[in-house]
Amino acid sequence: MNRKLIIRVLGAILLVEAAAMLPALIVSLIYQDGDTRALALSILAIAPVGLAMLLLPRPDPKDHLRLKEGFIITALGWILMSVCGALPFMLSGFLPRFEYAFFEAVSGFTTTGASVVTNFENFPHGVMLWRATTHWIGGMGVLVLTLALLPKLTGRTAHLVKAESPGPSLSKIVPQTGKTAKILYRIYILLTAIEFVALTICGMTPYESAVHTMATAGTGGFSCYGASIAAFDSVAIDIVISVFMFMFGVNFALYYKALIGERLKAFYKDEEFRWYFCYVTAFILLISLFNMPVYGNFFTSLRYGMFQICSVSSTTGFVTADFNQWPAVSHMLIIITMFIGSCAGSTAGGIKVVRINMAAKMSRRNVLATGHPKKMDVIRLDGKAVDESMVSQVAQFILMYVALVLLGGFLLALDGRFDVLSNLTASLTCVSNVGPGLGAVGPVENFAGYSIFGKVICSFLMLFGRLELLPMFILFTRSAWRKY
Amino acid sequence: MRIIVIGAGKVGYALAEHLTSEEHDVTVIDKSSEVIDRCSGALDVICLKGNGANAKTLLEAGVDKANIVIASTESDESNMLACLIAKRLGAQYTIARIRDPEFNESQTLLQNELGIDVAINPERATALEISRLLRYPFAGSIESFAKGQVEMVEFRALESDPFVGIAMKDLAASVPSLPRILYAMVDRNGTVLIPGGDFTILPGDRVFVSGDMMSITEYFRYLGRNKQKIRSVMLLGGGRISYYLSRLIVPMGIHVTLFEINEQKARSLSEQLPKVDVILGDGTDQDLLEEQGISQMDAFVTLSNRDEENLMTAMYAARRGVPKIIAKNSRTTYMEILNDLGLDSVISPQFITSSTILRYARARENSNGTRIERLYRLVDGKAEAIEFIARKGDAYIGIPLKDLHMRKGSLVSVIVHQGKIIVPFGKDHIEEGDHVVIISRDSGVSDLNEVLYK
Repeated sequence: MNRKLIIRVLGAILLVEAAAMLPALIVSLIYQDGDTRALALSILAIAPVGLAMLLLPRPDPKDHLRLKEGFIITALGWILMSVCGALPFMLSGFLPRFEYAFFEAVSGFTTTGASVVTNFENFPHGVMLWRATTHWIGGMGVLVLTLALLPKLTGRTAHLVKAESPGPSLSKIVPQTGKTAKILYRIYILLTAIEFVALTICGMTPYESAVHTMATAGTGGFSCYGASIAAFDSVAIDIVISVFMFMFGVNFALYYKALIGERLKAFYKDEEFRWYFCYVTAFILLISLFNMPVYGNFFTSLRYGMFQICSVSSTTGFVTADFNQWPAVSHMLIIITMFIGSCAGSTAGGIKVVRINMAAKMSRRNVLATGHPKKMDVIRLDGKAVDESMVSQVAQFILMYVALVLLGGFLLALDGRFDVLSNLTASLTCVSNVGPGLGAVGPVENFAGYSIFGKVICSFLMLFGRLELLPMFILFTRSAWRKY
Repeated sequence: MRIIVIGAGKVGYALAEHLTSEEHDVTVIDKSSEVIDRCSGALDVICLKGNGANAKTLLEAGVDKANIVIASTESDESNMLACLIAKRLGAQYTIARIRDPEFNESQTLLQNELGIDVAINPERATALEISRLLRYPFAGSIESFAKGQVEMVEFRALESDPFVGIAMKDLAASVPSLPRILYAMVDRNGTVLIPGGDFTILPGDRVFVSGDMMSITEYFRYLGRNKQKIRSVMLLGGGRISYYLSRLIVPMGIHVTLFEINEQKARSLSEQLPKVDVILGDGTDQDLLEEQGISQMDAFVTLSNRDEENLMTAMYAARRGVPKIIAKNSRTTYMEILNDLGLDSVISPQFITSSTILRYARARENSNGTRIERLYRLVDGKAEAIEFIARKGDAYIGIPLKDLHMRKGSLVSVIVHQGKIIVPFGKDHIEEGDHVVIISRDSGVSDLNEVLYK
């Protein structure tokens, strides 16, 4: 591997991260509640290191970034970014222990939204905003942001975006990766701005609105209140956030297509969007029915059902109801939703609807093949045949995903603190980047109960999930660390 | 510009690579998913799997908004069809690679009826290049600028050359009789250098000099390089390049001996080329080469379909003392190694084709706003010669060159002032409307003001 090139890109990531801390610093200066020093120190620590890493190594300009290096940069970049992102939490003294701060930073960047914070009242505004900012950056991806800002960083940048952006294949909007990154961020900023205005109108203060907008946009789920969105108890806010959670789970390329002239056609023409829409609607109706006994009438049940399903399907993890109290059948629906997640090319996690779609078609083909073993049958997506290599990649991905969730559940069981349901859903919620699980990690609980070991395991499960397994797995192969 | 490249073979890939480095929005269409995988990993382009002659695929690639569509698949018919459909769907400009000579004869018809703006014939372009090399046998490569008024010639510096070992700025004083000429570029072991005042040329360097034809001829006469004139040449392989080349050089009074192993091909060549000695046999067979008098030849050109045969036979010819050897090599990657082996003139039809197409693309871009008049890629793409027209109001106008700052790695090679060629020295200046040729080591120069400033 080309160390110089890797260090250079990592340096650029750190610079972007330091720049992203500036809004939090400004907020801390406004509120003056004691975290200015922590944020300023973090920036002063990260920026020079990033600058040195960017400028000192002089990679041979002929060298190209290879696919493997793209994956390694992505994995290392995310780990490094999380370590540095933990600094404000530690320095401000609210999460002084490294494993707590690291868990919180990873949870932020991977847009999981699982928290180990218990003392919400004392959390200073600046650090709280940084916590939400990590969601916003992590949602669309820090490498995508880096490439939008520094498109000439290195050759063959498609490898970086490919490793970071969720979904089975990279769908570029325009031919140049740098321009694609810029367009994605423009759409992202536009949607974020609209939600910010909407939430402010619904009665949030600008600060609350900023925190919750960024957490929705990245499909993260950090709130500045322990009770999450339930703290507001407002139907309007519930609806606005539900709609935006759903919207941030949609492939961003569709927004671009809609904006350049296809309008709503862009959405219903897309097979993945149709499946996403149908499954979310169906699950909302089902869960609202099943929850009728809890809430008494259908409309109250619908209000909470819709919010929770939108939250879990987009892997945001905001809550307005403690679904631990719901019937077992609703639990099952939530677990299934956690697995599926939403669309490729969005800020959300999970297996992704497009992969589930292909898996369903694969299963159908396998069943039919028993009747006609010699029949040639291609799998189609949006009416176009999908390459068999892609089909098998999707199958392998799902297999690895499930295996990772089980392995995570096993490792958390070794921690010995909670029951099977808690451990399994904790593992699943981390890998799918949702946030809350069931049982001891349920909506009104948090992850502080796990030991150091459990927290580190959860942190890595989140990273594996956000980067869609391969970039992280490759770090554990010997070939990743070889020079050639 | 938005450019669609159909067919990402060697030519298409090289084109896409170069066009992306100039920040064009390139979409590549190819039938093979392997090719698509390779492109999407290595190039900053959108890749589409499909047939380039399919309207649906073309529309998906955005043909209606495309500035240029380049069809460079293996098949002439596919290329023509792709251009025809692309043009009908709204593409502004189409370029097709068309190799069959039969199609080339009806070129105007093709252009008018099929909407092909430019038809490139790689074999013919290659043959043209070779014929120029045979005309100036001492040259490794020849490039002409400013409508052919200016030429840039590459040759290898010898120990005995009078300029070797003398700093550029002392040259006029030390060797007063040496005709003055611009040393535009030096290729030393694969590194391109732009000579400044303190630069000295070493033996073995590949030197590029530029000037008008008269001064170039005079210069090489002084060096004693143009004594050898080519009267006889051997061609290995009876493909299309050999056919075009024979048609070009036989009228120049050069005797051609052509080896072709396939009887049918050999027969039809001998029908088409009455003055050429077509030998039916394996041109890589040393006995046969000796029998036909290889050691008496002035030049040997290897044009078979196999790179290995071409290069091995070329090396054999070099050993037998043939003064001028030209070898065809499809891969551009090994060029440096081949130069080390002493094969100075290695040509690649793919490179020639992509350079030619790129030149048209650049000219198109010119009409779309940038200021480049024409672009030439030199030394396997390691340097570029760029032709500009000086415009009114630019900062450098009227100021002697020695008082201007020059972008690093660039050099003003020629100024054409009212049809007169000026090989610029420090006291010369540029006037409005002059054509200026810049040699630059880095690609991406798009404005003369970037190169010359106060």
